Amino acid sequence: MESFIPLFVILPLAAAFLIPIVGKFVSGFQMTLSNLVFLFLAAAGVWFLFDSNTEAVSYTVGGWEPVNGIPIAIYLVADGLSLIMLAIINTMAFLSGFYAISYLKQYTAPDNFYALLCLMVAGMNGVVLTGDLFNLYVFLEIAVIASYALVAFGTGKEELEASFKYQVLGGIASLLILFGVAMVYWKTRTLNIADAATLLKHSHDRTFHLFVQLLFITGFGLKGALIPFHAWLPDAHSSAPSPISAMLSGVLIKAIGIYCMIRIFFNMFILTEEFAVILTTLGALSMVLGALIAMVQNDMKRMFAYSSISQVGYIITGIGMGMIILARKGDQGIAALAIGGGLFHMINHAVFKGLLFLNAGAVEYENRTRNLDELGDLSTVMPVTYGTSLTASLSVSGIPPFNGFFSKLIIIIAAIQGHFYLLAALAVVVSIITLGYFLKFQKQAFFNVSRFFNKLKIKEVPFTMCFSMIVLAILCLVLSLLVFPGPRDLILTPAVEAVMNVKEYSTIITGI
Amino acid sequence: MTELNYIILLPIVAGIILFAFPRGTRILKGILALMTGLVALVFAVRLFGWENGIHTADLVPAGMAAGSLFNRMMQGISGFCTFNIDPLSRFITLCTTVFTVLITVYSLACMKGEREIRHFYPYVLLTLGLTTGAVLTDNLLFFITFWGILGITLYKLIPGHDEASSAAAKKTLIMIGASDGIMLLGIGIIWRIYGTLSMSALDIPTTYPVLVAAFLTLVTGSFTKAGAFPFHTWIPDYTQKAPAASSALLPASLDKLLGIYFLARLCVDMFILEGWLVFVLLLIGVMTIIFAVMMALIQHEYKKLLGYHAVSQVGYMVVGLALGTPLGIAGGLFHMINNAIYKSGLFLVAGNVEKATGKNDLDHLGGLSKAMPITFVAALIFALSISGVPPLNGFASKWLIYQGIIDFGTQPGAANQIWYIWLGLAVLGSALTLASFIKFVAGIFLGRKSKALEKVREVSPLMWGPGILLALVCLVFGIFAASWVVPRIIMPLYGSFGYTGIWQSTTVSMLILASIVLGVLIYWLAGVRRFRTDEIFIGGETTRDQTDFPVTGFYKTIQDFRFFSVIYKQAEKKWFDIYDVTAKIVFSLGNLLSKAHTGVLTAYAIWIFAGLVLFMLILFQFIIL
Repeated sequence: MESFIPLFVILPLAAAFLIPIVGKFVSGFQMTLSNLVFLFLAAAGVWFLFDSNTEAVSYTVGGWEPVNGIPIAIYLVADGLSLIMLAIINTMAFLSGFYAISYLKQYTAPDNFYALLCLMVAGMNGVVLTGDLFNLYVFLEIAVIASYALVAFGTGKEELEASFKYQVLGGIASLLILFGVAMVYWKTRTLNIADAATLLKHSHDRTFHLFVQLLFITGFGLKGALIPFHAWLPDAHSSAPSPISAMLSGVLIKAIGIYCMIRIFFNMFILTEEFAVILTTLGALSMVLGALIAMVQNDMKRMFAYSSISQVGYIITGIGMGMIILARKGDQGIAALAIGGGLFHMINHAVFKGLLFLNAGAVEYENRTRNLDELGDLSTVMPVTYGTSLTASLSVSGIPPFNGFFSKLIIIIAAIQGHFYLLAALAVVVSIITLGYFLKFQKQAFFNVSRFFNKLKIKEVPFTMCFSMIVLAILCLVLSLLVFPGPRDLILTPAVEAVMNVKEYSTIITGI
Repeated sequence: MTELNYIILLPIVAGIILFAFPRGTRILKGILALMTGLVALVFAVRLFGWENGIHTADLVPAGMAAGSLFNRMMQGISGFCTFNIDPLSRFITLCTTVFTVLITVYSLACMKGEREIRHFYPYVLLTLGLTTGAVLTDNLLFFITFWGILGITLYKLIPGHDEASSAAAKKTLIMIGASDGIMLLGIGIIWRIYGTLSMSALDIPTTYPVLVAAFLTLVTGSFTKAGAFPFHTWIPDYTQKAPAASSALLPASLDKLLGIYFLARLCVDMFILEGWLVFVLLLIGVMTIIFAVMMALIQHEYKKLLGYHAVSQVGYMVVGLALGTPLGIAGGLFHMINNAIYKSGLFLVAGNVEKATGKNDLDHLGGLSKAMPITFVAALIFALSISGVPPLNGFASKWLIYQGIIDFGTQPGAANQIWYIWLGLAVLGSALTLASFIKFVAGIFLGRKSKALEKVREVSPLMWGPGILLALVCLVFGIFAASWVVPRIIMPLYGSFGYTGIWQSTTVSMLILASIVLGVLIYWLAGVRRFRTDEIFIGGETTRDQTDFPVTGFYKTIQDFRFFSVIYKQAEKKWFDIYDVTAKIVFSLGNLLSKAHTGVLTAYAIWIFAGLVLFMLILFQFIIL
């Protein structure tokens, strides 16, 4: 397995450079190659996830061994958390890429699209695998720069404006992160996360700690779209082509926002209560405000984008509660429950929000509009889109038996167990509001009376789009099983342990 | 695998299989659903042979490799699968199955030709399986899982192809889903404090605020499902727009059974109620009775009228269960089953009328008693029963509740001291129910028939059959209430009790029968029959629809009454609807927030740095301190 790890970066990166060259001569090359790469990586990612024998492993690039216990090589580390992220990223990449085969017929230049998509996936895989701060920054930039271009892919007025805002605000975030990385390097003389963690433990410069953590929380908060750093997201996610929206909302904000935050705060710094409280507050704020704003949207993709802010709030709230409990040296079991709930919700959100954006793409593909007031009564003419979007809507609103119910259940139970009664109540209220706006979406788009004249012309979308949506809808149902002991021990527990067990992470790399 | 799994899984699996059937096989699907229902009925009857107590279901299939992923998962699920078999859950399971079977029969004929609800039968079967599961399970998490999925089936059993019905579907699922989420809070609190999710193991005092909160959240769920004030508002909207079969199945019978079942579990088994909580529950009960019946009085659409009654009757059950005495609980549960019988019967009647006439407004109906005699008789029995006219079952259970209230008044306590208020309002509600059902029966079946209704004929036997059957049950439950039904069926549920008043239902029935026979004799012998019928004379003008005086007109007086008119106007603007009020608040907050998102880049950048500076100020205070 160790030798497999670099493939997660190499393959999509190679594909990204091959596509523009070979694609000029061979038609259909871009779709075939990129989808095959994504399929292979998704299969590998899921296989590693289920292969219960594998411990967390690391790959040393170039084979440089540590000198005097100081790691000098670049490490790629795959522990429980990274494996989950890999599985999500590559599965979603495959499904979006497959969906795009038909969807892209309304655009020109599929070569550029697939090359950029491969680049984005390579960047994200790199971010979740690397054990090195500077590499983290580089891969992160690869992913986001590809995403800047993809947001502008439609080259309309709105797309370009959204992309510009996204670039400026994303640039601020990258700058803050780079500043933070530089500060860590200045203090510890190392960029290796595990090594820096051991060195930072001995440093008692409190001002430094606070300042660096503040830089990271703002930078990654911007990437993860926590309120008040969320302003770029609704524009960018709603203007991108739908498969890209699915990738951005479903995966990108998690890989470069939430994942990095977890990795850095749990595995590099010492958990402090004030940061845990700040993070939880940001999470709760995003959860509530995102849902309230989503309620009044009439553009369905904007609605989903605001909903992403709200759902990311859930994830951060869950993880933040775990941080608070750990920082207070509270009950480990409850902290594990809270973090597990957050991670579970992260997996689920990737699936159902990805699906929702694909649904929105399907509706837009047939109706040429995203405005909910101009749609109606599509349930009879687009049964697959309707069925899958209902699944996703109920899932995100926390209605059983879909996966969103179970992850919210764990978060709420953990909140009550940890005496965060207010957060539990807020989580429930937001869940109700979420149900409200997603049923509004259902009602306006799929029920009600048809407000479109040439309804007869509207038909179900082509096979590749249907396929991706159906697979994701099935996943919405199947992922519920993660709440039960067998699959939970296999998939969620290693990730939670990887987050909570700080020592293990540095042991993998430094061998100490 | 035990038989317990089959009773829950069989309808669910059958329902899922039926989803795969193509369009155009509606009859086949209906018959398969009916057969599944009958098999489930057999299982439900066999449940009476089981011992009382907690049963654990073993889901691990035989021959599975131990330690495999699937095996571990099934073992994990089995840990949650504990089932509580006691007289109450058995009884509710049986009722659930019977109602589902009857309504499946009815829908075979009713659904024909209408714009079909896609997958009606699969959802009916899912509803059956899930309701059975929710009733039998002992585990609270399993319970709310089933409860939440039932919201989806409710949502899918309404067609939703026009503005009003899609709005009703949305409202229904939002309210049921909200109740599910709110209940989760209560369950979380119980889990934290007691460390168990088993309903039968709990006996929670309501002395601490946090425990009271747990009780209130769970009661909210029960009230939403059953439809008690102020969480009832989805029911009238739903019944107005849903097909009669859906209304008869869910809001009229299964939801009531499940909601009141859970209320009984809460009030009797899981919590020990303090005096003031009893007071609150009684207050909610009588408010439900009066407010809903007042709204029913002014309705013009008969299905909506029935919807408000479906709410109003819940008030009696809440009052009965809140009393907490054996008499009151028995009254509440007896009323629950009676209400399910006549209310689903009434919806079936409404479905017949709608099918035969295509109209759903009382103003355009009338004089159908000759054209639809069987439906008329059934409707009359149901209407008298719901209004609490002896000797029908509605009276029998209301009588138990009234006695329970009087009995309750003999004990000390604030709520007990004002027992006469509860009693008075309950009786008043019954009188108002009668008033509004006179409107229902007279508006549809009596009076002059308009020209448009000349061709109306009685519906097919498949449609009136279930109605007549339910009407017979109404009669039997009423006539043999004291001698057989209450001691044999109701008393085993929560213990026996003595009556404080005297009620010999069979004797009284004989007397009433004798008086009816006497009346008929006089009618035939004394020559009352010889009267003259003639056209309405209005000064030589030809009668038109406008000159006709519809039954609903009589009820305008109430609406125009000075004090009520204000309230009714506010109610029509939905100011008393918790759903609409909440929606208004959420929308205004959302609009306020979205105004901040101007799309100006500099503003967004300023937010970022403002956030950064704010955190810095907060954090560096720690250092200075």
